[in-house]
Amino acid sequence: MSAIVEARGLVREYRMGDEIVPALRGVSLTVDPGEYVAIVGPSGCGKSTLLNLLGVIDRPTSGELSIAGERVDRLSDGRATEFRLRRIGFVFQRFYLMPALTARENVELPLAEAGMAGTERRDRALELLDYVGLRRRERHRPSQLSGGEQQRVAIARALANRPALLLADEPTGELDARTGAEMIGLFQRLNTDGTTIVVVTHDEGLARAAERVVHMRDGEIVG
Amino acid sequence: MIATLAFASLLRHRARTALAILGVAVSAAMLLDMVMLSSGMRESFRSLLLSQGFQLRLSPKGTLPFDTEATIRSADSIVAIIRARPAVAAVSPVLGGQLHFPLAASMVNATALGVEPSVQGDYELVEGRNPSAPEELVANDALLRALGRAVGDTIHAASGYDPQLRSLSGQRVLRIVGRVRFIYLALDQRAAALPIGTLRAMNGPQSEGRASLAMVRLRPGADVERERAALQRSLRTVTVISTSEALKQVDERLSYFRQLAVILGAVSLTVGFLLVTTLVTVSVNERIGEISVMRAIGVHRWRVVAQILVESTMIMLVAAPAGLALGLVTARWLNSILARFPGLPERIDFFLFQPSAAWTALGLLALSGILAGVYPSWRGASLPIATTLRQEAVG
Amino acid sequence: MSIRTTLLLICIALRATGAQSPPSRAPRSSAGARTIAIDSRLASDAKLQVGDRVVISSEPGAPGDTVVIAGIVQRSADPAEIARGEYRVRLHLDHLQTLLGYGDRVDRFAIRTRGDGSAPEAVARIDAAAYGFRAHRSADVAVETSRTFAVVSRFHRAIGVITIVASAIFLLCIMLLKVDERRRDVAALRLIGCSARTIVGSVVLEAAVIAVLGSLAGVAVGGAASWIVNQHYQAVYRTPLRFSIVTGDIVVLAVALSLVLGLAAGWLAARRLVRTPPLALFGR
Repeated sequence: MSAIVEARGLVREYRMGDEIVPALRGVSLTVDPGEYVAIVGPSGCGKSTLLNLLGVIDRPTSGELSIAGERVDRLSDGRATEFRLRRIGFVFQRFYLMPALTARENVELPLAEAGMAGTERRDRALELLDYVGLRRRERHRPSQLSGGEQQRVAIARALANRPALLLADEPTGELDARTGAEMIGLFQRLNTDGTTIVVVTHDEGLARAAERVVHMRDGEIVG
Repeated sequence: MIATLAFASLLRHRARTALAILGVAVSAAMLLDMVMLSSGMRESFRSLLLSQGFQLRLSPKGTLPFDTEATIRSADSIVAIIRARPAVAAVSPVLGGQLHFPLAASMVNATALGVEPSVQGDYELVEGRNPSAPEELVANDALLRALGRAVGDTIHAASGYDPQLRSLSGQRVLRIVGRVRFIYLALDQRAAALPIGTLRAMNGPQSEGRASLAMVRLRPGADVERERAALQRSLRTVTVISTSEALKQVDERLSYFRQLAVILGAVSLTVGFLLVTTLVTVSVNERIGEISVMRAIGVHRWRVVAQILVESTMIMLVAAPAGLALGLVTARWLNSILARFPGLPERIDFFLFQPSAAWTALGLLALSGILAGVYPSWRGASLPIATTLRQEAVG
Repeated sequence: MSIRTTLLLICIALRATGAQSPPSRAPRSSAGARTIAIDSRLASDAKLQVGDRVVISSEPGAPGDTVVIAGIVQRSADPAEIARGEYRVRLHLDHLQTLLGYGDRVDRFAIRTRGDGSAPEAVARIDAAAYGFRAHRSADVAVETSRTFAVVSRFHRAIGVITIVASAIFLLCIMLLKVDERRRDVAALRLIGCSARTIVGSVVLEAAVIAVLGSLAGVAVGGAASWIVNQHYQAVYRTPLRFSIVTGDIVVLAVALSLVLGLAAGWLAARRLVRTPPLALFGR
């Protein structure tokens, strides 16, 4: 079976005034289907940059990247957006829910974008909220949910279109220890149910729960 | 989902949304008023000119109807020539003058129109009948009130008054047979109409065969411009104008108001545009993180733009009826001011409401609102996702 | 028929010939022809100049007099003549009376008194002495004849009121939006200990500076617009009348009004923000 993620020699540089800052210096990575990979490293080592490239929300300066068998490093904006919608699920550190929408509506957002009809969309959203244990909070807005609840809604949203790859950037970063532990359990369940997960984290517990840990330093994978 | 998100975003900032609606409503009201002003006068005047079905008007050479005290010489023969033309259905000669009504303690003066009652187009009968005998006249409410008379009464009238000798000339006793509303006169202008022959006789020899104006009604299907040109060629001592030519003259004289309407309308539109641009820009800047997240989870750029444009469209949709109502109220107020122009016909409106005016105003506003929102929303939706997410905190 | 009307008729006669063909120039005659003066509009449209001989009559097609144009007159800045297309001709009084068969009649006398103070006395003496007509002060006549412009003035004032109200709403709206944009800055300032008074004061000061600068810009734009309006309408209506005048008190009123509106809008917007708890401003 071919890998879900095949990254070869990824370089990402940023221009800060006259200076060019290299965030990634030729990173190569492979993730197999159903794997649970944690990427760890000190702040500024490039792990979030790598995750952004894997999530097709940023483009590498050079290198090759394939996700689920498709080259994604040179996609047009429209194709990249479509790819993110259907093949990638992204969970952010700060949840990033739409404050004006309810929990259910937040989960429905990518389903609506993918063209799913109203009733079917609603049912799928409720199913996902049920999966993360928040069905009873479907009508609540983010401001009415705790941090852990918001993150669970964000995970449900990320799973909406059955992505090939779930990416999480410091998913427990804004949570207390107990809630963080619940989140770790949820990620494990997701992986057990077949979801391929790549998570960037400082959280040792989350890293330990992963099958494989990739260490990064100064824009390179060191172990 | 776009509509849901747009509506929810608007409700989230109620005060801002309410103010934006108010601002757009005011802009819509001003724009509607200016559109009404720019087209209203012309349309109102056109309706007035055509209300009795007369398409051509003859006046003394080089003048507009009743613009001066000049009269047409040999008017009767001119009218006969016109009546002989196959395309002509009716000709109404009119002689303008003054009538003086001596009362016990005062003198009441009024505008007098000498007409042929059977073909006249200067008044509408409200009560009574048209004059059918030389010693009969009809009068409007303003004159009847001043005289203290009613239909059926007789009144002593004179066509001339010499203030030096305090003597009246051209005196007659006339019977009031009808109460009328004059179409082309101001509301408070005292006026009477009587047979043209009677007024000529009262005026004396200098009025013999004279008329101030002749109105011509053509048969259905007649070519107005061709008839006008033919009459102008054959009648050298008069000016023949069609309704369109008269409108052109009116346009020139009232061009100030039309230009003012265009300028103020453009200003309203610009301010409305700026308001929506500012609103959308602030709204986008505030939600730049939200927008980037939507892009990150796979929402297309055009849909993000559409959602923002739907928000500004919703504001327009709510503001439009409010603006329409406000515009109609202010138009009435402004019209009541301008209606006091001395000598302005009662039926002339400067601000005439036509559905097309409302649609034009609202259409312009909607278009400018959409255009105003496109650039800032497109700019917001096109920012680099990763960089923006790093910079913004949402939720 | 009044002399005024007759003047117009004479114009008509001139205009009639001018509209269709150049005015018929009479052949030179050894007998001295009477002289007239015409207005600059007629001179321009009919391409007449001083020294030209024309025929004037009181009715179209009627035989008239051959006269020489002795002068071209610039029309006065009379608002009552705006948008009127007729021409004006000046003749010697006796000439016009003869032309019209008017005898020795006139429409009115214009009287210049020795000083403004003696006008009421003159009016009283004339009314008492002359039988059958009345004297009026020019100022009173002006009031009566400027009713049209009283209406236009009221209309302008109404438009001004509407514009001010609309501007106030727009200003408040935009000020609220722009101040709202800085809610996080305000929240941060509050959290580090800045008082509401300081924050409101700084926003109001900013609003005042913008209002002053905006007012100055507005005065400059208004002055330019006034100049453009005058140039345009003087050309359109061919009159020296000034349609728009920017006076000192108008400038003072406009600046004061915009200052007050700007400050009020800034104060209202800032007050709204400082009354919201800082954490709520952060969205927490």
